[in-house]
Amino acid sequence: MQAQTAVNTFVHETGGWVASQLEACTRCGMCAEACHFYQGTGNPELAPVWKVELLKRAYEQRFTIIGKLKLATGIDHHVTDDNLLHWSKIVYEACTLCNKCSMVCPMGIQLGPLIHEVRTGLSAAGMVPADLMSAVHKQEAEGSPLGVTDSVYDDRLEFFEDEYEIKLPVDKKGADTLVVFSSIEIMKYPGNIAAIAKILNAAGENWTLSHAGREVVNFAFFEGDNEETVLFLKRIFDAAKDLGVKRIVVTECGHAYDAIRWTAANLMDVPEGVEITHIAHLLGELVRTGRIKLKEGMYDNGGTITFHDACKIQRRGGHIQEPRDVLHVLAPKSFKEMIPNRAEAICCGGGGGVIAIKEADPYRYAAFELKVDQLKKVGASTVVMGCSNCRLQFDDCVQHFNLDVKVAGLSQMVADALIE
Amino acid sequence: MKAGTIYDELARGGISRREFMKICGLLAGALGLTSVPPVDVNAAYDALRKPDGLVNLVAEALQTKPRLPVIWLEFQDCAGCTEALTRSHDPTLVNLVLNTIDIEYHETLFAAAGAQAEAAKEAAIKKYAGQYVLVVEGSISPGSGQIYCTIGGRGSGDLLQEAAANAFAVVATGNCATFGGLPRANPDPTGAVGVMDLVTDKPVINVPGCPAIPEVFTGTLFHLLVFGAPPELDSLKRPMPFYANTIHDRCLRRPYYEAGLFADSFDDDGARKGYCLYKLGCKGPTTYNSCATIKWMEGLSFPIQAGHPCLGCSEPNFWDGGGFYQGQSAPLLRPAAALAAGAGAVGLVLGAGMATANQAQKKRAHPTEQHKE
Amino acid sequence: MNWLAILDFARGPFFEVALLVFIGGLAYRLMRILLLGWHFDRIKPAGSKLGGALISYLRGILIWPFIPWVRNTFSKNPVIYIAGGLFHLGLFAVIFLDAAHILAWQSLLGFGWPSLVTPIVDWLAAIAIVAMILLFINRLVNPVLKLISGPAEWLNLLFVFIPMLSGYIMAHHLFFAYEVNFSIHMLAVDILLIWIPLSRISHFMFYFFARAIHGADFGKRAVIP
Repeated sequence: MQAQTAVNTFVHETGGWVASQLEACTRCGMCAEACHFYQGTGNPELAPVWKVELLKRAYEQRFTIIGKLKLATGIDHHVTDDNLLHWSKIVYEACTLCNKCSMVCPMGIQLGPLIHEVRTGLSAAGMVPADLMSAVHKQEAEGSPLGVTDSVYDDRLEFFEDEYEIKLPVDKKGADTLVVFSSIEIMKYPGNIAAIAKILNAAGENWTLSHAGREVVNFAFFEGDNEETVLFLKRIFDAAKDLGVKRIVVTECGHAYDAIRWTAANLMDVPEGVEITHIAHLLGELVRTGRIKLKEGMYDNGGTITFHDACKIQRRGGHIQEPRDVLHVLAPKSFKEMIPNRAEAICCGGGGGVIAIKEADPYRYAAFELKVDQLKKVGASTVVMGCSNCRLQFDDCVQHFNLDVKVAGLSQMVADALIE
Repeated sequence: MKAGTIYDELARGGISRREFMKICGLLAGALGLTSVPPVDVNAAYDALRKPDGLVNLVAEALQTKPRLPVIWLEFQDCAGCTEALTRSHDPTLVNLVLNTIDIEYHETLFAAAGAQAEAAKEAAIKKYAGQYVLVVEGSISPGSGQIYCTIGGRGSGDLLQEAAANAFAVVATGNCATFGGLPRANPDPTGAVGVMDLVTDKPVINVPGCPAIPEVFTGTLFHLLVFGAPPELDSLKRPMPFYANTIHDRCLRRPYYEAGLFADSFDDDGARKGYCLYKLGCKGPTTYNSCATIKWMEGLSFPIQAGHPCLGCSEPNFWDGGGFYQGQSAPLLRPAAALAAGAGAVGLVLGAGMATANQAQKKRAHPTEQHKE
Repeated sequence: MNWLAILDFARGPFFEVALLVFIGGLAYRLMRILLLGWHFDRIKPAGSKLGGALISYLRGILIWPFIPWVRNTFSKNPVIYIAGGLFHLGLFAVIFLDAAHILAWQSLLGFGWPSLVTPIVDWLAAIAIVAMILLFINRLVNPVLKLISGPAEWLNLLFVFIPMLSGYIMAHHLFFAYEVNFSIHMLAVDILLIWIPLSRISHFMFYFFARAIHGADFGKRAVIP
């Protein structure tokens, strides 16, 4: 029955876009070479091509004559509930939807988005890991998966204003820019919030926070549940409409940016004339136009600095150059690239909801081994990133692997280097 | 020495013993043999072990046997094979061999005609029963009530069977008699067939070609004379001494083929330089014959040497086996544009139908629809 | 049954039927995808979708197969990566630039083009055959490929390998009589033509879809695909 629901969802979701890419697959297996989960564990079931197997089977069996024949002759089998359970494990726990696989696919198949489709089917069938499910329910009920309710939000903001001596405007009508933080930053990286506030104030930006749109994290997007995704996005867009802002700035959260910038318009009506951008882009712009001044070479004396490309902000977000422009100002001498980098970077292994699932920890650590390699090769003493989710993973793994590497957020580094 | 042998006749014609042995040497070459033929002639083996064995073998045969009686039938033909044979000039190997046979009946060469000629044939069939070789030139039309190709009011099928019944062997010469040739080409109005399709109880030897190479034909006859049995034959009943290799294998332009140097047209630089004619439709790679070695006009030349691609005339179905100037790698049949477009259109329509059905399925699979169910 | 008759069949009616199946089958598959419904992309692009798609094609064709270190991912088995590229290079050279095959194209299309020198085509064909053997071995031993390979994947390899090998043997006049090799080659080609629309060898058609989707998706985000 659950399998039936999942297959029906696959069928419903499969248009030319999905079908043409499934047809293009030659089963060459090269995508496995790109997947950090496969590389880390050596488990062939974690190969991206195998992760979309359910979708492929649903497509073949329901849409093609050959698929029906294969079913009738017993070469292929119906999707079962057990299958769903199994695939639920590999697509939620061992995939960050980083889409690195599409970079090496000879056909250029967008495996990341296709695996997202698989998640959509599994979520319709209710086959979602419990940790992720409860986070979604919490976000639905409380407005945030980490429990940032209205009152918690107020408490935290008040605390930040005292602690960091900054001004945090909330629900300010007529502001130009709505800044939406993720609850990871609110609960775990308050320094980020202070830093971004400092930068925006220094640049003389007319900005505001919002109660209604206080949470940019979108756990339903991890889950692949489109209805819930839209619900969570709507909270932010409604806040933007209420406040009449011209721009929404997503802070250091990767998947949230993917959801609101690169997915929202295809799922729902988005407010007209509201630009959506990422803090990484804004930082680059402020530095380039000279609206903020930074102490040049401020970090040049603390060993090698490297930049970790977050899959959803750099490869899937498009803001590859801006952080580098900023780092070339901050640490022109000690900044060194990991290899591979930019669009081809290796993902941290914590995104896509993986870090929120306790059972996924072994996969998560295994995947990070590739990153450990990279960090060692480049000899980094500091690794900078623009995504709090990556930062959670790095903080945890640096401890787990006993690495002597400092993990830093880009905004915080910029804020510390501001010339007032 | 028996009276009436070939040697006797030659001697009567003033040929000395020394000249006779010379002739035997030349004729031994006509056999085209490089090894002992698989015939049960112990004497042949013994003879061949000695130096000049083959020559002695020929001499032995010529001294012990009378001239080989031959009855020559022509059906749906152009007499080209006869022409090729008789246009040879003196003194040739061909003529030497022709001196060792006795043609009892031949429409083209006979002075006699009509009932008189037919009577001579019937007499020969009776007189030389079991001894004569039947040579057939031209294809036979045994079907359609034998209304095509009649001689003296009798159909070609009957005439063949009648003459073959008493023959000791049947030699089919030219592509028509062997494989049906031009008469058999599409649309084949007469239902033409070759000799081996009709004669199954006698040894049939095929000497295909259009025409057959005279030396190959006479060599085959001479083999019958010397050994009293057909030479080794391939799967198409062609004598191995002459049909074991393809034209391509022995072609003088072969090195150009290997090097990938081809003439692209009959008057380009490649053609002038003598490059390979593969692209101009040469059928050499699949054609088994001796053109490239024995050649034509007493060894003067052959088509490829003269700049023309091989037509493949010693192979079955060569008239319909692709255009003469169409490269051999090109398909024989290709769908007409309309047919191809039709197949494409059928595919498009079926595909569109499947897509529509799938679209409907997608709609039914919509989450809200599922709730209704 | 003599080989020349088999050859005539393989070059004649069988080829014609195979070609019709090939054309109709591909048309069917194309249409089934084209009309399955496409969502209009309402995302405001940051870069050029068309530009991304073009770069995606160029990268896919020119760079991708021959420079494994471009993606910095294939340090583990570059041989297989290169084998895939060289196989396709050899295949295209043989199909489109070999003198004998151009004659076939000429008879089908009505026009031809200059061929590559035979020894070069010959070497490329040999390389492609060796590459196929490597790919076959890879499929046998690689755990991922073992997992995802069904009967169809093995048949794909077989149905492409036989025409390649028989063509090579035929061009070099090895083992059997020419018309025997030629017949095997043509029969194998006919079977391949019928098999293509039934199998994933038709990826050459969907390549353009997937590459365009990939390029547009990256171009939209102003990322070089």
